[in-house]
Amino acid sequence: MRLDRLTRELKVVWAIAVKDMKIYYLRTPSLMFGILFPFSMFLSFVIGRSMIISRAIPVLVAQTVFFASSTIGPVSIPLERRMQTFDRFLSAPVSLLTVLVGKTIAGFLYGIGISLIPVAIGIVFFSSQVTHLVALAIGIALSAFGFAAMGIMFASLPGQGPGEVMMPLNFVRIPLLFVSGVYVPVKDLPSWGQIASAASPLTHTIELIRLGMGGENFFEPALNVIILTFYAMAFLLAGMRFHIMNKKRE
Amino acid sequence: MEYVVEASDLTKFYGDFCAVDHISFKVKKGEIFGFLGPNGAGKTTTVRMLTGVSIPTDGGAKIMGFDIQKQSVEAKELMGIVPDISNVYTEMSAWDNLTFTGQLYGMSKGDREERAKELLQMFKLYDRRHEKLDGYSRGMRRRICIAMALINRSSILFLDEPTSGLDVQSVITIRDLIRKLNHDGLTVFITTHNMEEASQMCDRIAIINHGRIAVIDTPEKLKRTTEGLQSVEVSFETTSQRISEDLMGLEGVEEAQKQGDKFRLYTDDPPNVLSEVWDYSRKNDLRIITMSTLGPSLEDVFIKLTGIREEPRKGGGEKMRGQGRGKGGPRR
Repeated sequence: MRLDRLTRELKVVWAIAVKDMKIYYLRTPSLMFGILFPFSMFLSFVIGRSMIISRAIPVLVAQTVFFASSTIGPVSIPLERRMQTFDRFLSAPVSLLTVLVGKTIAGFLYGIGISLIPVAIGIVFFSSQVTHLVALAIGIALSAFGFAAMGIMFASLPGQGPGEVMMPLNFVRIPLLFVSGVYVPVKDLPSWGQIASAASPLTHTIELIRLGMGGENFFEPALNVIILTFYAMAFLLAGMRFHIMNKKRE
Repeated sequence: MEYVVEASDLTKFYGDFCAVDHISFKVKKGEIFGFLGPNGAGKTTTVRMLTGVSIPTDGGAKIMGFDIQKQSVEAKELMGIVPDISNVYTEMSAWDNLTFTGQLYGMSKGDREERAKELLQMFKLYDRRHEKLDGYSRGMRRRICIAMALINRSSILFLDEPTSGLDVQSVITIRDLIRKLNHDGLTVFITTHNMEEASQMCDRIAIINHGRIAVIDTPEKLKRTTEGLQSVEVSFETTSQRISEDLMGLEGVEEAQKQGDKFRLYTDDPPNVLSEVWDYSRKNDLRIITMSTLGPSLEDVFIKLTGIREEPRKGGGEKMRGQGRGKGGPRR
């Protein structure tokens, strides 16, 4: 791809991301599934249990980046498909990848923004410490991108409204919490559970965030990065594939 | 380049259902090409394939020589699209809708803002440019949708049912605008099921039905294919079913239709029927309000080609057929 063409596509990526930020960040499903959901799950997890909150903060950060990032795509794409505004992208002189990356960036920035709130809360109110800034930054950023792409992939399945996309998405998101070392550390899981957790992208999010905030790791950080990168690419490519299938079917 | 659009063997299946069945046609540069057909004929599906929104099951299309599938970016840069639904961002202002579309087409900030201003002024919406579109009327949203399709100074404009569901003023505004744009050199591909619109606006028309093109020609040539369909239209000061029956019995009348407060009498011999109607009105002391002879309309051609009525003219108005005093049987 020529440089001027690449520059142009990157500008379109940013234009789509900014447009989605303006329109979808404050929508009720975005706030409900992106913010309220992870925070309320966290509270139900910690309230009544004798645990040090600062040690649970990485879990909240991971849950927040997981839910918030993966919510914007499933809110925006089904609405745009219903209003036929998504057709504007399909008929615009840009590649499908550009469109999906633009939408992924919107989820990515939403996830980063929201997940910084529990980081700040932990530092200010619960004496949490950032011991490995690079691990924390890479953990949040890579996870935000990967989970945003996961949301895009689910949103690319044929569905009429955001609710119809959220249901299968939550059918995957919630069980992942149980095999990813959120409630039970990976080292305490049975061997089959450890294998399952290694395959879950959320495990590697929590691992990197824990490492960044003074916790212990089960897997190597390099493996965390490789697996998260793999999932981000796979989700994006699967999303593209689904859109091409839709174009053939519709 | 003589042809702006070249469709060859364009085909679309939805499961086992064939929505568009191997259609081929060409749109000349600078013309308004109408795609006329009943609902479900395959018009929108064709536009979606021509604009790259949908992938054809078979066949393909070129826009100014660029293959819409293989050279989609080059082809899409040359086109503007107004779909059947005004797909604007209602949460955004008119200004933001236009400038965002400009960004999708890779226009520079200065260029897209200058063009957005020019279009909003042309569409008489510049004063309301900062209002969100959810406060706009349907006609205003339609105008914004057309403006968005023109932001990139396209060579061809695809319009899918551009005036459907709009009030008369908006329809007139949009038709005038399309004519002006075409006069300025823009090629227009317009789908409609409105005969009057197609007849008034198009240089050539393709009639599509059940996914197949029945005919492509100019509106006047199409009308000539049903030249035998002549009629006399008359309205009296009063109307009743008895008058309809009486008119049916007049010499030369093959078929009579009551259309609102008027009667349309189909005949091979309009002068004779005019005279008969005149005599009838005097004998029955009925005052004629209007009386005129009519040639075949595009609607007649459309009905003939699409076969949307099992028998001719049964669908519109109350219909009666001649009792044997006419010069021949009813025709299509």
